[in-house]
Amino acid sequence: MSPRILGAASPFILTIFVFLFLAVALFIGLGQPPFQTLAVLVQFAVGDSYSLSQTMAKTTPILLCALAAAVPGRLGLISVGAEGQLHAGAIAGTALVLLAPVWPAPVLIPLMLIFAAIGGAIYGYIPGLLRARLDVNETIVTLLMNYVTVLLVAALVFGPWRDPASQGWPATMQFPPNAVLPALPGSRIHLGLLLGLVAALALHIYFNHSRWADKVRILAGNRKVGETFGLSFGFWVMVLMSVGGALAGLAGISEVSAIQGRLQQSISLGYGLTGFLVSWLSRHQPLIILPVSLCVGGLVAGSDALQMFAKVPAASAVILQGLLFAAALAVPGLLARWRKAQ
Amino acid sequence: MPESLVQFAGVTRRFGDLIAVNNASLDIRAGEVLAILGENGAGKSTLMKMLYGLYPASEGQILLDGAPAKISGPADAMRNGIGMVFQHFSLLPALSVRDNLLLSWPKTPFWKSHRNARTDDVLTSLAELAPQIDPERIVSSLSVGEQQLVELCKVLNINARLVILDEPTSVLTPAEATRLHGFIKQLAGRGVAVALITHKLADVEACADRIVVMRRGSVVDIAERGARSMAETVALMMGQSVDRTLRPPPAFGRTVPRLVLENVSAQRPDMSLQGISLSIAAGEIVGVAGVAGNGQALLAEAVAGVEPLTAGDILLDGVSIARHTPFEAVSTPLGYIPEQPRDNGVVATMSLARNLALRDLAQGKRATGRHANLLERFNVNPPDPAKLAGTLSGGNVQKLVIARELGIQRDAILACYPTMGLDLAAIEMVYAAMFAQAASGAAVLWISEDLDDLLAGSHRIAVMREGRLVALLDNDGTLSREAVGALMTGMTETEAAA
Ligand SMILES: Nc1ncnc2c1ncn2[C@@H]1O[C@H](COP(=O)(O)OP(=O)(O)OP(=O)(O)O)[C@@H](O)[C@H]1O
Ligand SMILES: [Mg+2]
Repeated sequence: MSPRILGAASPFILTIFVFLFLAVALFIGLGQPPFQTLAVLVQFAVGDSYSLSQTMAKTTPILLCALAAAVPGRLGLISVGAEGQLHAGAIAGTALVLLAPVWPAPVLIPLMLIFAAIGGAIYGYIPGLLRARLDVNETIVTLLMNYVTVLLVAALVFGPWRDPASQGWPATMQFPPNAVLPALPGSRIHLGLLLGLVAALALHIYFNHSRWADKVRILAGNRKVGETFGLSFGFWVMVLMSVGGALAGLAGISEVSAIQGRLQQSISLGYGLTGFLVSWLSRHQPLIILPVSLCVGGLVAGSDALQMFAKVPAASAVILQGLLFAAALAVPGLLARWRKAQ
Repeated sequence: MPESLVQFAGVTRRFGDLIAVNNASLDIRAGEVLAILGENGAGKSTLMKMLYGLYPASEGQILLDGAPAKISGPADAMRNGIGMVFQHFSLLPALSVRDNLLLSWPKTPFWKSHRNARTDDVLTSLAELAPQIDPERIVSSLSVGEQQLVELCKVLNINARLVILDEPTSVLTPAEATRLHGFIKQLAGRGVAVALITHKLADVEACADRIVVMRRGSVVDIAERGARSMAETVALMMGQSVDRTLRPPPAFGRTVPRLVLENVSAQRPDMSLQGISLSIAAGEIVGVAGVAGNGQALLAEAVAGVEPLTAGDILLDGVSIARHTPFEAVSTPLGYIPEQPRDNGVVATMSLARNLALRDLAQGKRATGRHANLLERFNVNPPDPAKLAGTLSGGNVQKLVIARELGIQRDAILACYPTMGLDLAAIEMVYAAMFAQAASGAAVLWISEDLDDLLAGSHRIAVMREGRLVALLDNDGTLSREAVGALMTGMTETEAAA
């Protein structure tokens, strides 16, 4: 490898090493054999086809939520609303399925996805509108709005949408087969992943190679200059917030349709926040978000399995994620400072 | 020989392949005012930023009190009694003047309150230097000149032994500049060393003890004041001699109104424009004179379509170009040189080529090749289209914006302090470009604080005070500096003379 590529890659390599070091320290602290536990973690993430399928299943919502944060992030907006938008999409998509459960799959599935995307988009549009017109901080609004749809899902599944046949379990009816996203046979790798991949590539092209790419870049770099030359900051805030919301909405409905099979509470394991962190780690670059979400998806799947099969507490999955993010945020900065001092 | 406080010994600083400062040696002595002159991009700011700890030197050494200085950042510099006021300000615009001063004051107690008497100490230098500024005002409502003064107070408050001022007078009115000169001399009298980066020979005349001239990164001359004539100094700076005479475009028949302001009114928290009406003909140059902070900035942004009007309209060849609501998208057809171009005129994270093509890019068009020779034509240094605009020196950012705005023929031009921070050769070039535009039919609205230049270069002079046009004068050769100055301040001429 040329020194230049090595120089560019060194923050990543170092981040992984620091993370492994911290993980080893954690396992020692938990009284587990560190290297063995680490090996088991890797085994559970990528060891066999089942583990791989689990990793992909976790990657999908993380990827979509990361893109949902990255799209407004390109304009310099800080949206933490993916969690709420995910639930809004889940509600909107489920509503259609409950209304028309017998429609054939070729009609129902695309419409369900569109409904979910619109649901998420509206949920992103509202904070976008408030920011554009009244200059209300989008971070606070998206944060607060998260609680609303999460609780709305609870209200729906405990109330009007509860399946009478479920004997008290708060959930909607099981989605009929014609409302379940197609998946690779025998795995949990479903259409949502493909949507995420396509979205990432499309966004990469849009933000880097399209004729409109520079509009967003100008506004992000200097709003006043953009407005001098006829760009409307408010317009782009609303567009990008809505598009981000739509992507998170897709994450919501694909969890409901392909993984859970019904709308219920806890359809998201904090994917919104995880996606937010992935997006910021990747500096809102879709092509970097792809591998980073895969790594984080593997970590989530691996540590999930770990807490079931090894003797580590349930919280260690979250702790491991935290360690990864802490390492990824701290290492490049420290490295840059160390290089500058040289 | 007076003892030296700071000594640069063969200091070099590279940015990639570019040598910004080349093997510079000089010393700064306690109690002296050291003027640093040089054309745009000569390396003046970089030299001082190394002393302030913002960049490490690539080679050579900086000695402080005779020992190698260990300054790795502004905090270290301040601890060592070195303060710097930048070309590009570092105030927090949303806070009051008082809070800004408290924030950078080492002795600020944790429990700050407005009734805390100890914090009043922070205001003493403000009272001395700029008594007209109310400490409770929000910084974003101050004029550029006033912000400059607040920056200066920040530095004075740390009891600096060495004060570095990077082009402090380029945004000050003549009266403010004179007060600053007096203040600088007073500082030097107290034993403080002052390093003064400037393009204005008036600053040098007024207060410098020694003069350092830089050219292309090297220190080419160090002399006591008076040892060289100003012409010699200028020749050293430029490597050639420049004569400084404005040649305004010829008079014209004032017939076709081109840029028309009808009862223009606009509102900001601390400033309002009240019914400004003005008609500028094709080929005419109207200069706007006024003390900083009397609504010029708001007028400029209203005319450029950045600030929405509350009443009135702005017409270019009969077509409205004003913004009426905050939400509509208006692309200004004017050649618009905003004040503080680093903040208001360029996208620092984009390349020079893209910054030149901003109009196209903002409209979703591809950048075309027609901007290719603008960098050379307007002497932007380095003329490297791939360089990021944020890495240019202050004066070169200004030239970049001017290249974009004056590089092609415009119907009308709105220029705010277009020569701010430029060296003499560049000023000449900017005026030539602006006058050439007028000569081929552009209507020019030119906001400036340099009365001499306005008097030499404009056909009519509009005087602004407190958001209104208080006078519109034909510049027929009989106008005097004093008469206009009196209108600017609202005093009668005799009061001003007294
Ligand atoms: N951070 C940076 N990265 C790359 N190049 C830089 C950087 N800072 C300055 N330069 C380059 O170094 C040279 C000297 O810049 P400097 O800001 O010191 O000039 P200056 O003498 O202060 O000019 P001016 O009068 O225009 O302010 C310029 O060519 C500039 O483009
Ligand atoms: Mg400079």
